[in-house]
Amino acid sequence: MSNAQPALVVENLSLAIGPAVVVDNIGFEVAPGEVLALVGESGCGKSLTAQAIMRLLPPAIRQQAGRIRLGAEDITALPERRMQAIRGRRLSMIFQEPQAALDPLTSIGSQIAEALRQPLAEARPAVRRMLEEVGISDPDRRIAQRPFELSGGMCQRVMIACALISRPAVLIADEPTTALDVTIQAQILDLLRRLAIERQTAVVLITHDMGVVADIADRVCVMYAGRIAESGPAADIFAAPLHPYTALLLASIPRLSDVPKSALAVIEGRVPQPSEYGPGCRFANRCPRVMPRCTAETPKLEARAAGHQVACFAA
Amino acid sequence: MTPTLEITNLKLHFPGHGAPIRAVDDVSFSIAPGETLGLVGESGCGKTTVANATVGLLAPTAGSVRVLGTELAGADATTLRAIRARAQMVFQDPVTSLNPRMTIGTAIGEPLLVRKVARGAELRDRVAALLEEVGLRPDHANRYPHQFSGGQRQRIVIARALALRPALLVCDEPVSALDVSVRAQILNLLVELQARHAMSTLFVSHDLAVVRHVCDRVAVMYLGRLAEVAPRDALYAEPRHPYTRALLAAVPEPDPAVQRAKPRVPLSGEIPSPANPPSGCRFHTRCPLATDICRNAVPELRQVGESQVACHLA
Ligand SMILES: Nc1ncnc2c1ncn2[C@@H]1O[C@H](COP(=O)(O)OP(=O)(O)OP(=O)(O)O)[C@@H](O)[C@H]1O
Ligand SMILES: Nc1ncnc2c1ncn2[C@@H]1O[C@H](COP(=O)(O)OP(=O)(O)OP(=O)(O)O)[C@@H](O)[C@H]1O
Ligand SMILES: [Mg+2]
Ligand SMILES: [Mg+2]
Repeated sequence: MSNAQPALVVENLSLAIGPAVVVDNIGFEVAPGEVLALVGESGCGKSLTAQAIMRLLPPAIRQQAGRIRLGAEDITALPERRMQAIRGRRLSMIFQEPQAALDPLTSIGSQIAEALRQPLAEARPAVRRMLEEVGISDPDRRIAQRPFELSGGMCQRVMIACALISRPAVLIADEPTTALDVTIQAQILDLLRRLAIERQTAVVLITHDMGVVADIADRVCVMYAGRIAESGPAADIFAAPLHPYTALLLASIPRLSDVPKSALAVIEGRVPQPSEYGPGCRFANRCPRVMPRCTAETPKLEARAAGHQVACFAA
Repeated sequence: MTPTLEITNLKLHFPGHGAPIRAVDDVSFSIAPGETLGLVGESGCGKTTVANATVGLLAPTAGSVRVLGTELAGADATTLRAIRARAQMVFQDPVTSLNPRMTIGTAIGEPLLVRKVARGAELRDRVAALLEEVGLRPDHANRYPHQFSGGQRQRIVIARALALRPALLVCDEPVSALDVSVRAQILNLLVELQARHAMSTLFVSHDLAVVRHVCDRVAVMYLGRLAEVAPRDALYAEPRHPYTRALLAAVPEPDPAVQRAKPRVPLSGEIPSPANPPSGCRFHTRCPLATDICRNAVPELRQVGESQVACHLA
């Protein structure tokens, strides 16, 4: 898989709000059929990274640096007209709140057809097939229904249908299961994984949930305060985390296998706000392995093992 | 010994368009002194409604809620007020639970002052002790909520709930709104407080791993009814209700080796509406094992081994 040309490459991406660099020099690539998880806590810059890839950044955010390539094509500076032809066709996105992302007044059939830029009458067979592929039973009846007539889980399936019907090379999924119950989440993750493999879609899955990452990701980028702390194959990140943040985060999560009521590992303090970002490693003030160097210099993301990189002086 | 909380045949119905919403329908359980009971289930199954009834914030449609033996259903204002001092609630969102214009010292001391338990220097000492108890510094008392992080604010809310030394602490999703890296701080604190005060706790959560970590016994709710109530180890080692099994199978474990080896227990369909719940067992529309009896007869909770299960087939 890793020999194939990447479907998506993000290089040295930096985003700023005023003086605060909220996404700092981030890079990753995703191969066709691969699921890359971008995991991190609230505010670490996951959604902004997604918006930058889609070229849909809010006006307050400035892209200071970075390149984005879709297959062989550099889309960093494409005019908006060309981007519009790419979005929803070669590069699609789904969001946390499917109900909010769908048009409440339009039938779901028409909305899926619109993703193909065809009227429903013409696209009907394709829409029907797509609804079946995302596991919606009774597609003939569902085609005519509007979003409020469907549950949250079903709306997320419709969003996935909209996003994938044009067979995009890349799907960005921003917390696609966070608003759903666990039993529905499991179904949606299975669906995403199956479609990624079958259709060879490259998926960037954004989440704050290490359980979701463990379930579906091939590779992982762990983000902290706008930077990548560690990246590598999912199996390695979980079995042998190199960054103190990743290690502590994993040890702080209650698991079905731990000793009930035993003390969980604690990360002291809290996640910094962008206005508090200073020099050096942004995790330094919470890090049990902090050294004088950590607060003065920014550690670079460096390879420690095959495909496993970490940004830490102590690792 | 009198249970700290005893809920019997509790019903809470809300007026809906047409049929009433049967948010809680015939739920019974109790919590012993010093015990922590976890209440789990998916969104809309009625957890918060039960929690609110437990501290007297909602009047039952039918059934009984007894805190330390005193009946809340139909109780007069004086009784309710007395009971509320003994049963304290911690809500999900520490931001909206605190008044932004009140120093946190005032907020924590308020229940003591209002109920004339302490004032002046004694009140200040009690507030300082409560702050230390939840891992904050006494000199934090003069600050305002916005000067604290989410995790610290949840500590403040817990300190206020502890002020009157309640017999029952009701926590509704106490860590769901917190950053992942901060949740462990609060979970460790709750476990410490249980050990230190032998307080009873009703712990409401949709996260089965969190519930397993802090609870002694667990009640699983589905669409307004209890599916299963069991001691923690029995429930997790040997879940007896098909819904409990499906829920457990759906918890994503933060370990790819474990998670990817896990057998899937797919549930068909969606959660039905509590305004129009299915006949018989409410879970039958999604249950892989359902038979005719499940469609027709409502299963009562009955003892199977160490567990109580509401399933005809268990
Ligand atoms: N439109 C905006 N204007 C100003 N600041 C913003 C804007 N969007 C995001 N930010 C800030 O940029 C930082 C990164 O935000 P982002 O939404 O990417 O975080 P995230 O990792 O997606 O978090 P979450 O898990 O909460 O969704 C945050 O500090 C956020 O407050
Ligand atoms: N005041 C109300 N009026 C009408 N319906 C209500 C009211 N409060 C709750 N409900 C309904 O009662 C049911 C149970 O709600 P409740 O909030 O207790 O669920 P929950 O288990 O706490 O869910 P969540 O996990 O989403 O917090 C839901 O269908 C809800 O929509
Ligand atoms: Mg986000
Ligand atoms: Mg609730």
